Amino acid sequence: MIELKQVSQAYGTQDILKNVSLKIKEKRITALVGANGAGKTTLLNVAANLIPAKSGQVLLDGRDICQMETIEIARKIAILKQTQHLSMRITVQELVAFGRYPHSKGRLKSADETKIREAIAYMDLENIKEKFIDELSGGQRQRAYIAMILAQDTRYVFLDEPLNNLDIKYSVEMMTILQKLVQELDKTVIIVLHDINFAAAFADEIVAMKGGEIIREGPAESIIDGETLKDVFDHEFHIIRVGERKVCVYFQPQPDREIKRSKDCFI
Amino acid sequence: MKEKSGCIKRAGFNSRYKRFVLILAFLVLAAVSVMIGADKNVNPGSLLRLDAAAWQTFWVSRVPRTAAIVLTASGLSVSGLIMQSLSSNKFMSPSTSGTTDAAMLGVLLSFLLLGDQSRFVQLLFAFVFALASTMLFMAILGRIPLREAVYVPLVGMMYGGIIKALANAVAYRTNALQTLSKIGLGTFNRFTSFAMLWLVLIPLALAVLYAARFSIAGMGEDFSKSLGLHYKRTVFLGLCVIAVISAATFVTVGPIAFVGLIIPNMVTAFYGDDVKKTIPDVMLLGTVFVMVCDIFSRLIIYPYEIAVSFTIGIIGGAIFLVILFRRVRYGK
Repeated sequence: MIELKQVSQAYGTQDILKNVSLKIKEKRITALVGANGAGKTTLLNVAANLIPAKSGQVLLDGRDICQMETIEIARKIAILKQTQHLSMRITVQELVAFGRYPHSKGRLKSADETKIREAIAYMDLENIKEKFIDELSGGQRQRAYIAMILAQDTRYVFLDEPLNNLDIKYSVEMMTILQKLVQELDKTVIIVLHDINFAAAFADEIVAMKGGEIIREGPAESIIDGETLKDVFDHEFHIIRVGERKVCVYFQPQPDREIKRSKDCFI
Repeated sequence: MKEKSGCIKRAGFNSRYKRFVLILAFLVLAAVSVMIGADKNVNPGSLLRLDAAAWQTFWVSRVPRTAAIVLTASGLSVSGLIMQSLSSNKFMSPSTSGTTDAAMLGVLLSFLLLGDQSRFVQLLFAFVFALASTMLFMAILGRIPLREAVYVPLVGMMYGGIIKALANAVAYRTNALQTLSKIGLGTFNRFTSFAMLWLVLIPLALAVLYAARFSIAGMGEDFSKSLGLHYKRTVFLGLCVIAVISAATFVTVGPIAFVGLIIPNMVTAFYGDDVKKTIPDVMLLGTVFVMVCDIFSRLIIYPYEIAVSFTIGIIGGAIFLVILFRRVRYGK
């Protein structure tokens, strides 16, 4: 159980998070959405204790996360940030082995080796496990990082914009993998997403943030709504249905307005 | 040099084979190293005949010298490796970041303030100065954003130059220039003082033990934290390891440049940056390199010898230039 209780955070005089309270639903994909600077990444960092909260509490399984050893947290929460470590030349296998650090403290036992092998197999990386991560494509590299997180064997997986710099094909692949993690391995995934449509298509829950506050939260279905999204992003959205799913169209004004404007031009 | 370039260039062979060649080269060179010296009486024949005088020279002079080379070379190579990993910069090393110069200043001050003290006091001074100076340099690097990694050794050498100039100024004022030039020369020809060098074993053992942590710390602060690693503690431990090694080797054999810079670069170019995997090869290659240079220094004007720091400076400098050009050209 992860629960945030009235968490605030500020850089200097600027408030980044204002009294945020949130209960994260177990075994679901929760997407954090919002405009740049809404505080999504900060919320993720505070929840994983990478940054301590200025005030308020983060509870992990009922215990205050600030009171816990970092290694103990690392056995429960894995967090993947946007940074790509291209300056370090390490192989896929070595990267995945890093994921065992919270359990092995660097001395791998046979149980650790098994976990590493399983993680590599699960992410289908066997034939590139000897390759250096700077030689991989963006999609392969992202899969290697996910394999590391699998080896870390945590209940919670936090991801900060994992689709950045990924092609459409790999973005969809990544989100499908995350769905598998939830369905097959009972993980709880919290993900910061930039593209609202990926949230609409893959997330179970959506938490919408604006100006350091959570302004809406709930099942994806209820958040993907023209009025709500307009409020979150300060931008017009046109929601259409494709089969079961809702899709947001945001790159052109709504059709009825278009018509109005063109009429104006003629008159 | 033959053994080394041979095993490094043939990249097609697997790593176990390469390590085997390195170990073989190490054993051959170690044997050659203990057999060379002004006393011609020490040779396999006399040792087999259990000649007492030969064995005496062997134990008192030859073995300590060879052991000193092994400890110094592997110590300096490993401290370079850790420094490069922690800063994720391939151009960091004790001799390009002012660490060695600070150790020199420390030893000089111990001479001036306390007179001719035991090696241990010198070592303590050298350690404190090396640690403080390395931490200061890392802090400076953190403050100024450098666009190219190549600038780091340049800034480091300037920084080291300032410390060296300070040492010179102090020595000039106190008429201690001669002392300074004596402690500023790297050689394995100081028979009296190798005992301190065994201290290098402690940081070396720590480096091997914590190798996985240094690799993770090299991936950055957030990455380390997310795996539950105390980043700042690990960096501090790494700097302590580097400072102890630099201080102990400086006090006993003097400044040895380039080893900490080029050896990790050569090894990581093939095996990647996982400290745990590369640390044995870094130690081996470093030892082989310094042994070759030392044997060369002892043979070129036999029965006299030149300071090994000259030989290392020339050969190491050439290798450094090659590495520099390769990295600038291929961006690696």
